[in-house]
Amino acid sequence: MRRYLRLLGVQLRMSVASAMAYRADFLVEGAMSAAWMAVALLPLFVLYGERDTVAGWDAPSALVVLAYFMGVRAVVEGVVNPSLVELVDRIRTGAFDYVLLKPVDAQLLVSGSRYEPWKVLDLLGAAGVAVYAFVLRGHGPEPGHLLVGLALFATGVLAMYALWILCAAASFWVVRLDNLTYLLSAIFDTARWPVQVFRGAWRIVFTFVIPVAVMTTYPAMALLGALDAGTALASAGGALALLGLSRLVWRAAIRSYTSASS
Amino acid sequence: MIRADELTKHFKVHRRKPGFAAALASVFRRRYEVVRAVENVSFRIERGERVGFLGPNGAGKTTTLKLLAGLLHPTSGAVTVDGYVPSKRPPELLGSITLVMGQKSQLIWDLPPSETYAMNRAIFDVPKAEFDATLAELTELLELGKLVDKPTRQLSLGERMKCELAAALLHRPKTLFLDEPTIGLDVAMQLAIRDFVRRYNQRHEATVLLTSHYMDDVVALCPRILVIDEGKLVHDGDLRQLVKTMDPDKRVSFTLTSEVGADELERLGAVILREGTRVTLRVVEREIPAVVGRLLGPLHVADLAIEDPPLEEILRAMFGKAREERAASEAAEAGGAT
Ligand SMILES: Nc1ncnc2c1ncn2[C@@H]1O[C@H](COP(=O)(O)OP(=O)(O)OP(=O)(O)O)[C@@H](O)[C@H]1O
Ligand SMILES: [Mg+2]
Repeated sequence: MRRYLRLLGVQLRMSVASAMAYRADFLVEGAMSAAWMAVALLPLFVLYGERDTVAGWDAPSALVVLAYFMGVRAVVEGVVNPSLVELVDRIRTGAFDYVLLKPVDAQLLVSGSRYEPWKVLDLLGAAGVAVYAFVLRGHGPEPGHLLVGLALFATGVLAMYALWILCAAASFWVVRLDNLTYLLSAIFDTARWPVQVFRGAWRIVFTFVIPVAVMTTYPAMALLGALDAGTALASAGGALALLGLSRLVWRAAIRSYTSASS
Repeated sequence: MIRADELTKHFKVHRRKPGFAAALASVFRRRYEVVRAVENVSFRIERGERVGFLGPNGAGKTTTLKLLAGLLHPTSGAVTVDGYVPSKRPPELLGSITLVMGQKSQLIWDLPPSETYAMNRAIFDVPKAEFDATLAELTELLELGKLVDKPTRQLSLGERMKCELAAALLHRPKTLFLDEPTIGLDVAMQLAIRDFVRRYNQRHEATVLLTSHYMDDVVALCPRILVIDEGKLVHDGDLRQLVKTMDPDKRVSFTLTSEVGADELERLGAVILREGTRVTLRVVEREIPAVVGRLLGPLHVADLAIEDPPLEEILRAMFGKAREERAASEAAEAGGAT
């Protein structure tokens, strides 16, 4: 455990060192995340310009869902995506050999291998949107709701991470990940809306098959104090189950790793 | 100690003819072909041995090393290193072995090697004092100097290789798998690395398994060699022994100081080379005294040298023979079928 913490520290330090080498990026990234935030907010303003509620959600509550969406996306783009893009590159070139030669868990080693420190700005932006939403509501969340909301944020991130690991595991067999990650990003994009917006089969898909509801809707409801304990537990349990599944698939993938020749 | 018993690795590769139609057809019906990269290979290597691994391209050397290092799961057969099964990747084992591949790099491209070292220190959980001592030792043995603080992408091939070796040895592994560690290096660097490997082996009583396309590396470093061809182990033993059994005759070379007829030379032994006054003969061992007596006596030759046949020549003959035999048996099979 201590070993992993030390490792995490070294990896973070290196990513920050690389990021510092390109300090001008700070401005670019800052501008980008502000622009992204505007783009993300725009549809909400358009939608709520004409009506008060959509599928039972008023504007401030929908903003909270959006804040979760932006938060999860910040973590994915800040840690998960860069690390796994690097993983796929390593598999293609055979440099993944050196990962397997290390006496630590390969999944943990690759999952945190690269960070985009500037994505912290996006995370702050997400927090800002959440705060703004509660300002609109006129009161802050209760401490208990805040706690559950944060916990479900963590499990939501884990669920998204699990989906990424499933994609990465697939790349051991097919080695082309691009299409899968595009698909995943496109699906994740639906998480900006409360899942109740979707009807019939889609709602079932987004709740149980590709659980975007677990990543944003349920955590947002928890923070708003509108989630019952059973659903909260089921949501967290679902995320952990998905994590377990991704672990199994990952191990199967490692077994069939053939390592690029020479 | 390393043990391989009937070790076998087959790769299933997806074969496809070129062209669009074939590509389309392969979507529906995939054709697989089995590559028998390693086939029933058995050997034992004791602690502290230096063993060379020889064979032509595609023989299965790298695949065998990957099996020993746990990167690949064997198709059948068993392998243990220090009693552990490598493919299960036990941390105790991974902490005491290393694999260096000349064509692959573990150094972080944009950062100096020292950063990779720091990372490996965290991964292998090496205490600070021990790490510093090892790094100092490696810096001295490999003459790393200031190299470790230059970004990896600015290093020359040879410099990178030295830093690569250091990265692979910071945890002081007891077993070294070296796959063409001298590839692309000039002679001086080759010698330096060779020297380093021998000293590391002696200092730490480390087991070394080495492949190289430079025969000199293997001859200089490894008292024992394994020869592998098309996945099969065709020789395991002493280098001299291999030379003796394959080609017991000696090479006698000298410079002529006077005119000597071709038939006169033929009578002494088979003429392998004659370039101007320089001659190399192949002579049966027990005739050496007579031949040497005659060369130094009546014929007055200079620069006389008696040597074993060069390893390259022997291996070429060995692999060539195996190929011919197989081609012959395949031809016979084909003939029988029609
Ligand atoms: N990942 C892989 N997938 C499919 N076939 C492979 C793979 N790795 C190796 N092979 C095949 O297995 C055989 C043995 O390869 P290997 O790399 O072990 O040879 P080698 O002895 O190291 O050759 P060289 O001297 O060229 O490095 C070759 O025919 C190679 O094409
Ligand atoms: Mg090889």
